[in-house]
Amino acid sequence: MKLYKLENIKRIHGNRTVLDIEDLEIAAGKIYTLIGPNGAGKTTLLKILSFLDSPSQGRMHFMGEEVLCGEKHLYGFRKRVVLLDQSPIMFTGSVWKNIEFGLKVRNIREDEKGRRIREVLDLVGMARFKDYNARGLSGGETKRIALARALVLQPEVLLCDEPTANVDAENQEIILDIIEQINKEQKTSVIFSTHYLSQGQRLADHSLLLQRGSLSEMANENIFRITVAGYEGDKTLCQLTGQLIIKIPKEALPLDKSFAKVHIDPYLLTFEPGCEKRTDGNVVRGHVTDISQESGSVRLGVDVGVKMVLIFPMEQYLLEKPSLGQKLNIFIPDQALGFSSFESSLSSSRK
Amino acid sequence: MDLLFDSVASAFVLLWSFDRELLEIVLVSLNVSFFATLIASIVGIPGGFVIAYSTFPGKRLVLTCLNTLLALPTVVIGLLVYSFISRKGLFGSFDLLYTQKAIIIGQVILIVPVIMTLTIAAVSRIDDRYRMTALTLGADIYQMAWVVLREARYGILAAVIAAFGRVIAEVGISMMLGGNAKGFTRTMTTAMALEYDKGEFVLAVALGITLMSLAFLINMLFHFFQGRTESEAV
Repeated sequence: MKLYKLENIKRIHGNRTVLDIEDLEIAAGKIYTLIGPNGAGKTTLLKILSFLDSPSQGRMHFMGEEVLCGEKHLYGFRKRVVLLDQSPIMFTGSVWKNIEFGLKVRNIREDEKGRRIREVLDLVGMARFKDYNARGLSGGETKRIALARALVLQPEVLLCDEPTANVDAENQEIILDIIEQINKEQKTSVIFSTHYLSQGQRLADHSLLLQRGSLSEMANENIFRITVAGYEGDKTLCQLTGQLIIKIPKEALPLDKSFAKVHIDPYLLTFEPGCEKRTDGNVVRGHVTDISQESGSVRLGVDVGVKMVLIFPMEQYLLEKPSLGQKLNIFIPDQALGFSSFESSLSSSRK
Repeated sequence: MDLLFDSVASAFVLLWSFDRELLEIVLVSLNVSFFATLIASIVGIPGGFVIAYSTFPGKRLVLTCLNTLLALPTVVIGLLVYSFISRKGLFGSFDLLYTQKAIIIGQVILIVPVIMTLTIAAVSRIDDRYRMTALTLGADIYQMAWVVLREARYGILAAVIAAFGRVIAEVGISMMLGGNAKGFTRTMTTAMALEYDKGEFVLAVALGITLMSLAFLINMLFHFFQGRTESEAV
């Protein structure tokens, strides 16, 4: 079942196109991560998916139904999805009143309201905070209450804009656990944006990579099919498309290796001329085949037996200034490796 | 100096004795100011919200016009309304001239721009995430407007208080449209002007003291409610 179908969607602010998606399909009941740097268009896309913003052009379908512009039409769709803001804001009043808001506007019965609020407060582990002033909570607590305020509505889709940004590690874990739990137990579709590929690896069925408003082709460039070539201690030796062998921690590999693909995050790769042996990742040697600049970053194409792309800040490039044909050692840290299937979500976006 | 001290002393005696004429004047003033502020709030608060939250061609022009209207002299409004409600005017048949209703009409025109501009300022300062959060939680536009107005309540309350202060202290409209008829349309400011003309300062000073006390009381009430609302959630 297709949850969303977007065709030629563009969002234009002034004379700037902030989002340009040719074709995207999102399946129901899954967890999607939206990965990309700041200003890539993640929040804009989430606002369009949550019907809080309308695209400047293009067509969009939600559960097979065409989404038309106009407040009356969008209002109906909005009741089925909830967007959790990156920095959620609490209304004046207690935690209970905040969570109650969405139920009140839906005219839910008093006893049902009470039951659902208590349940969701237990779920986020904030039951004892129910009478607290919602504005007096810490950042992590506010995020959990905002999550409770969204979940109490039992939405078909939960959209989260960087739900773990600016919260401590403990609260990050709690929030991710809850997202995973509601997806598994209630079959709620989840789409969340994040800077951390590791969160995508842990939770997501699919990852979408956004760059400068477009679903990036780059996502395909660093995706390689893995063939297990052997074992060495606690590492698995994997061949990338038959050309290059890298070591991957055994526990990181998915169980079903027949479909295993690895995505190497181009933002986490570094080139270190003196780097030879590392225990926290792989070092591969190759030569520069391509250098290009894009909005403050430099994109480096390197042939290491397979073509690999590195993206790093301009400052780092100016320090080292690698030139075409130069030989480099590329360090691939373990946390740059992801095992999610990009194929289904991105194949449709290929031009 | 003696004149001032004597007038103030006599004014306190007058106030203490609950002088019937003085009470009548205060009540008329409060009555017209209250209804003028009420009607202007009903028009101005939603109007201000709609202007603040909508985008339409000419919005900047509307804002400029509203800001200009803030400086509208009361005598101009008096003249304008007079031309409509005088016997020969368009609404002459309603016999509104020299009634409290006429004063209220003029005062509403005076303070609608005040309430509107201050509401626009108050609502514009409210974080847009309130609007977004209300909408994503399923609120319709009226429920969303209520959320935003609730968050902007102190700014809006300040707008209403400023408007009330403007009407209770104005003299031009009350004089031109009310006629300063004793017991009917004589307000505190028109009575003070009359007493000054007569050279009788005692009643004028007593009314001045009442006016200042009212302003003080209103501000006290505002701060009381503000503090209460902030501490209502534990």
